[in-house]
Amino acid sequence: MTKITVNHLARVEGDGGITVELEGTTVKRVELQVFEGPRLIEALAVGKLPLEVASFTPRICAICSVSHKNAAVRGLERALAVKEDEKTNLTRELMHMGEMVESHALHLFALALPDFLGYPNVIAMVDKYAEVVTQALKLKKFGNKIMKLLNGKLIHGENATVGGYGKFPENSELLEVKAEAQAFLPFMLQAAGIVAGLEMPDYLESPTTFVCCKPEGDRFGFWGDEIIFSDGRVIKGLEYKEHLIERVEPHSFAKRLLYQDKPFTVGSLARLICIGDRLKGKAGELYRSLKTDRWNKNPFYNNLAQGIETIYSLERIPELVDKLIIMPNPAGLELPTRTEGRGVGLVEAPRGLLIHDYSVKDGYVSDANIITPTAMNLDDIERYIGLAAAKLSSQGKDAAEMSFEFEKIARAYDPCISCATHLVKVIVR
Amino acid sequence: MKKKPSLGVYGFTGCAGCQLAIIDCEDQLLDIFSALDVKVFYEAQSNNDDSAEVDVALVEGSINTDHQIEQLKAIREKAGLLIVYGSCAHHGCVQAMSLGDGKWAERYKMVYGDTKITVANPMEAQPLHKFVKVDGFIPGCPPSAEQMLKALAQVINGSLPTYTNSPVCLECKFRENQCLLYQGKMCLGPLTMGGCTAPCPTHNTPCIGCWGLIEEANHTSELKLLKEKGFKTQDIINRFRVFGGSDLSEKIAELLEVK
Repeated sequence: MTKITVNHLARVEGDGGITVELEGTTVKRVELQVFEGPRLIEALAVGKLPLEVASFTPRICAICSVSHKNAAVRGLERALAVKEDEKTNLTRELMHMGEMVESHALHLFALALPDFLGYPNVIAMVDKYAEVVTQALKLKKFGNKIMKLLNGKLIHGENATVGGYGKFPENSELLEVKAEAQAFLPFMLQAAGIVAGLEMPDYLESPTTFVCCKPEGDRFGFWGDEIIFSDGRVIKGLEYKEHLIERVEPHSFAKRLLYQDKPFTVGSLARLICIGDRLKGKAGELYRSLKTDRWNKNPFYNNLAQGIETIYSLERIPELVDKLIIMPNPAGLELPTRTEGRGVGLVEAPRGLLIHDYSVKDGYVSDANIITPTAMNLDDIERYIGLAAAKLSSQGKDAAEMSFEFEKIARAYDPCISCATHLVKVIVR
Repeated sequence: MKKKPSLGVYGFTGCAGCQLAIIDCEDQLLDIFSALDVKVFYEAQSNNDDSAEVDVALVEGSINTDHQIEQLKAIREKAGLLIVYGSCAHHGCVQAMSLGDGKWAERYKMVYGDTKITVANPMEAQPLHKFVKVDGFIPGCPPSAEQMLKALAQVINGSLPTYTNSPVCLECKFRENQCLLYQGKMCLGPLTMGGCTAPCPTHNTPCIGCWGLIEEANHTSELKLLKEKGFKTQDIINRFRVFGGSDLSEKIAELLEVK
């Protein structure tokens, strides 16, 4: 029996590991582990006021804090039947773009790209790719700037809240953001070209089901009240529990999810597979010229998908700013119109579908369920690592070579372990 | 030249935002790393030496498994100074909001159901000072990049990080904001440790108390004030608890009696 262990996954957010057991070329066990404790955030939400819950559920994760905030306020507003305000919605979308740009820039350039260019980390890339590294870090900083401007703090801001914003940004600040987004576009187009030119390994190819939010109308975007599957199914957000089946595994504290008894994939690649044909502009052109059948079976294309989505975001930011600067600010926060109800907030975090499901009774949260994208991806990451283990061991690869590839697969999913760990628990070996 | 101080950055249970707060010091990151001998920092580098002794250990996150208690004690043994940074490590943060209410097992069951899990012993989250001696702290949820830079500069020069022992309320006044308490909003600015420069009240949203309590925070007075504004006692205490829970657990009964 060969046991391959990656004790501490490097270059992912949070503390995780991988264990694979092989007997010859037969894979006996694959586990993606997470070494953090349960915080029981959903249980703590019960009995609290909706505004408080919107403040503390984003504390699940720093790197996805804006996604959690947007999912929380959308879920709570639906539960309380709060009227939607167009300026609030567009401002939230702009704030979301900040997180998308920041998170994708960090993952694509600093965490994933070194794998494909053969470097141990992003700093080592500086000699040959100085311009790419410098611009990528500036792009990450630009994403942070948008989040700080709109949410009040770089991480865990309070400006976005149930019913709207405490304070809307000045037009001059928005126009600055627009100009910066436009200035980054040429770099990002060039960088996407570099990523598109990389050869993606094929040792793990196998079809899967992709899942994401379905935005209203025919636009691409990062939220909606329906969920779309790559097999064509569309369901209402409120019905997610009938299709995405959660289970608790006795050996890992991990809540896992299956769709039709099978693992599925969420994230950037899932969005392009399900709704990529809605992309317009340069992002749309790139998607149409680069998309192949291999995308449907190879999670490494998630990296390229993130590049295309970053371009989409940089093109979308100026559109949003142009709309926002001519809209008057609402007079104040929109208020709840009922004290009882259920609402599901569906948002696409950078790493995939995020669900915040709240029930409210007599004005207090009475039930909460939060499902994070990394939790949804865990089963499929393990499946792809298993496929890779079988193939690579039959090609005679040694343990060190294989463990590098396993890490690379996990990393391509851009896992966010803090998110997953509000549900996933320690494995002590 | 003086020897560079060695540093270990460690994380337990939280959102990882405190480690990000260091990484977000984008413009000064290289200077920081060149002024320190960084032995352990998983989120930022791959060559980590877990067994190394360090002059200073910066530890984020709260403790909520038996395994983590052992890991924390091992860090304490290897560290000259142990400095906690961020609300989770400092006072437990949101996961410790109901510490001591006796209902943790019930909450655990609500999330995980009845499946028997056998691999480790989880427990309610607690701050680090409940388990080991702590030499200093950097407050924040997360600490701001400015706060992190100041603290790291102090550590590099051989002193302990300092903190702001005046409330957010004062910093809010300096920014000439209209008082949210006067507007009838449940603002915790008078109780909460400053240093954040009051970004939330500056955006017309009340302080939620995320940096933890100032020394000698006057809950009784704030509770009375908020009750005058028409808020219910239980709602006010819930709000106090979200970020101040672990420090307040022994005071709750007393507060509930405030007329």
